[in-house]
Amino acid sequence: MKMLTAAMVALGLSSAAAAAQDFPSKPITLIVPYSGGGSTDLIGRQLAHELQQIWGQPVVVENRAGAGSMIGTAALSQAEPDGYTLLVNTPAVATAPAVQNDLPFDPKTDITAIGMVATSPYMAVAGAAVNATTFADFIAEAKERPMFFATAGVGTSSHFTEELLIQQAGLDADIVHFSSGGDAQVNLMGGHADVYISNTASVMPYVNNGQVKALVVLGSERYELLPDVEASAEAGVDGIDINSWVGLFGPGGMDPALVEKINSDMHAALATDSFKKVLADNFVIAGKDSADEFKAQVEKEMDLWKTLATERSIVAN
Amino acid sequence: MDLISNIALGLDTALTPVNLMYCFFGVFVGTLIGVLPGLGALAAISMLFPMTFHLEPTTALIMLAGIYYGTAYGGSTASILLNIPGTTSSAVTCLDGYPMAQQGRAGVALAMTAVASFYGGIYGIIVLSVFTPVVASWALSFGSAEYFALMLLGLVAASSVSDASVVKGLAMVALGILLATVGMDPQSGTARFTFGSLSVLDGLSISALAMGLFGVAEIVSSIGRTAARQLDPKAITLRKLMPTRDDFRRSWGPMFRSSTLGSLFGALPGTGPTVAAFVSYGVEKRISKEPERFGKGAIEGVVAPESANNAADQTAFIPTLSLGIPGSATMALMIGALMVHGIHPGPKLVTDQPELFWGLIMSFWIGNLLLVVLNLPLIGLWVRLLSVPYHLLYPAILMFICIGAYSVHYSAFDVMAVMGFGALGYAMRIFGMPAAPLLLGFVLGPLVEQHFRRAMVLARGDFSAVIERPITGVVLGITALVLIWSIWAGMRQKARMRDRKLTAGQED
Repeated sequence: MKMLTAAMVALGLSSAAAAAQDFPSKPITLIVPYSGGGSTDLIGRQLAHELQQIWGQPVVVENRAGAGSMIGTAALSQAEPDGYTLLVNTPAVATAPAVQNDLPFDPKTDITAIGMVATSPYMAVAGAAVNATTFADFIAEAKERPMFFATAGVGTSSHFTEELLIQQAGLDADIVHFSSGGDAQVNLMGGHADVYISNTASVMPYVNNGQVKALVVLGSERYELLPDVEASAEAGVDGIDINSWVGLFGPGGMDPALVEKINSDMHAALATDSFKKVLADNFVIAGKDSADEFKAQVEKEMDLWKTLATERSIVAN
Repeated sequence: MDLISNIALGLDTALTPVNLMYCFFGVFVGTLIGVLPGLGALAAISMLFPMTFHLEPTTALIMLAGIYYGTAYGGSTASILLNIPGTTSSAVTCLDGYPMAQQGRAGVALAMTAVASFYGGIYGIIVLSVFTPVVASWALSFGSAEYFALMLLGLVAASSVSDASVVKGLAMVALGILLATVGMDPQSGTARFTFGSLSVLDGLSISALAMGLFGVAEIVSSIGRTAARQLDPKAITLRKLMPTRDDFRRSWGPMFRSSTLGSLFGALPGTGPTVAAFVSYGVEKRISKEPERFGKGAIEGVVAPESANNAADQTAFIPTLSLGIPGSATMALMIGALMVHGIHPGPKLVTDQPELFWGLIMSFWIGNLLLVVLNLPLIGLWVRLLSVPYHLLYPAILMFICIGAYSVHYSAFDVMAVMGFGALGYAMRIFGMPAAPLLLGFVLGPLVEQHFRRAMVLARGDFSAVIERPITGVVLGITALVLIWSIWAGMRQKARMRDRKLTAGQED
């Protein structure tokens, strides 16, 4: 009897290992939960292209946009956890569940974190109506004249990071929601709103074109790719230790051996010259985490945003 | 003489064999996709987007842009021939295009559409090439308060699009606005009328609404129509396709005014060709001396929306290229095609990448010319489409509508939504309720709401601060005047009708 159990366990293990070894034997779908042309879409497409080279199987990108990335993420959660349906997503995977109560899946158990593709700090940019050029001046100006923080929509990472900055800097500011990051920044340029926070890929094109000013990167240290921009801790605003990222996910309950394999293949893809160029174009650096480290980080952020949503009474009930 | 050297540079780029080939490919694919009901520019561009990775950025953009404005040309064909809009922005063209086709003037309508589209396109290109920097900075000065006033003016100006009674028209505008409230509240994030479903959290799909209300409803109501079409293919001679001098005489004014309106709406991010088509139709009907001709096959009702949406398609490139701000999902793909190659569009694009900017603009000229050359000979072919029996044509169209609805978000829910809106559209036909005002309310209602709510947040709840802004105040004032004038005009017309009836009664 013992022998039989042991044999079955061994058989089970070896077949799982074999599944990971054989992967992939058919085309893979990579869901991008945003519409085409944005920075996550471009990074996702580049990843699909490189993984296709490594795996020798087609990796097909499917844009399933909507509901702050939750439509694509819900579609992933319903797929078989065999590695043939994957998803790239941003911290929206943690922020959107903090405001959407009706999700048809549990964000912690129904999706598997596979690895971090790229990361960068969050950056605050200021528009035409803001006079300050340094972060300390900005805090002073914002205390004198209550400012408008523009978001890319309710429950987006720009919304949450702005709430966090307002809280940590002790500002009296108003949040105003726009329909997208581009919409928010065009209103900064026209002086209709004052500040916008997002990842470097979303704001740097406008900073480089001189349309908005780079104010600060959120965190304790300056960003290696943009050393001229000060860090928020330098002006005494502490307690913000959070970065933006693009991550790779699978459906919940994936075999750990398979997760490991996809994680290592992803890192191989990240090491190619063509991918390095895409990363540099977007002012992001390649992720280095193992699957477990990434999972821990995602879950930590889910808890953080959930707490902030309650503290700042973001959730409308 | 900067402009001339820029044009020369642009022609140099646009006329290279590779770019010319991709321009032709783009407008050709665009026309075909535009003719197919349900499939729009977004679906076509998404499908061909990966191809752009392997092309030069200028070539890639020339091709994608060709598809984009090509669909606007093709979109009207199905509107005129079948009363089924090929794209959302050509839904308004159904109103007078289809009656023209029923009167045996389909060829004329299609020919005038090609002329109006070309005129609108060229007008938009001129605005694009001469005024880009001016228009871009002017568009920046538009905040939510200004948008709110402008959208409200659009709603009031276009609310008379339908032919039915005022009460029915307004009821349908209201229903459209109500349907548009489904989804997440833009400022508080509260889910409205979603019943816990993720599929409608971003609202009901506009293409599903347009396809269902116009396309599916038309197909369903044709089931009872047993009479064979009296169309003799041999009767279509070149002569019958030629617009009369009267058609041209009536069209110049509407084409000029509508192109101006279209250029304006195209340049403002977030509004675009559908709004432009509605507003220009509404304006033409209002200023016409014979508004009763509209909805019964008036040529002005075809050329106005068609020149407006084509002009808007061209000027939509102003914010896209000079600010790097996409006004629509389609424009976001255009920016993506440049970002792949490390080019971030913005104010410096025109000076840093003159070959790209001017090459693209010159390719628009060539593309619009190609479209006319491509479309005029096709008119005879399209008109013959009418001789295909319903029982073969309509199932095929229904299939394309379903594919189109699914392709926008890969969503089976959207296919169900098309069918639901089809049922609604059929019921509305039975009760004589017009569909166009519903679509108008659905398009403009949420824009009015969203911008009003945002303007109020930005004014910290002080309404007087919103209306004291100069542009907002002036536009709201015009809106009030239009409203008063249309009530007065309506009353005067009623009185005149009564007089006429009285005199007619006395003569008996």
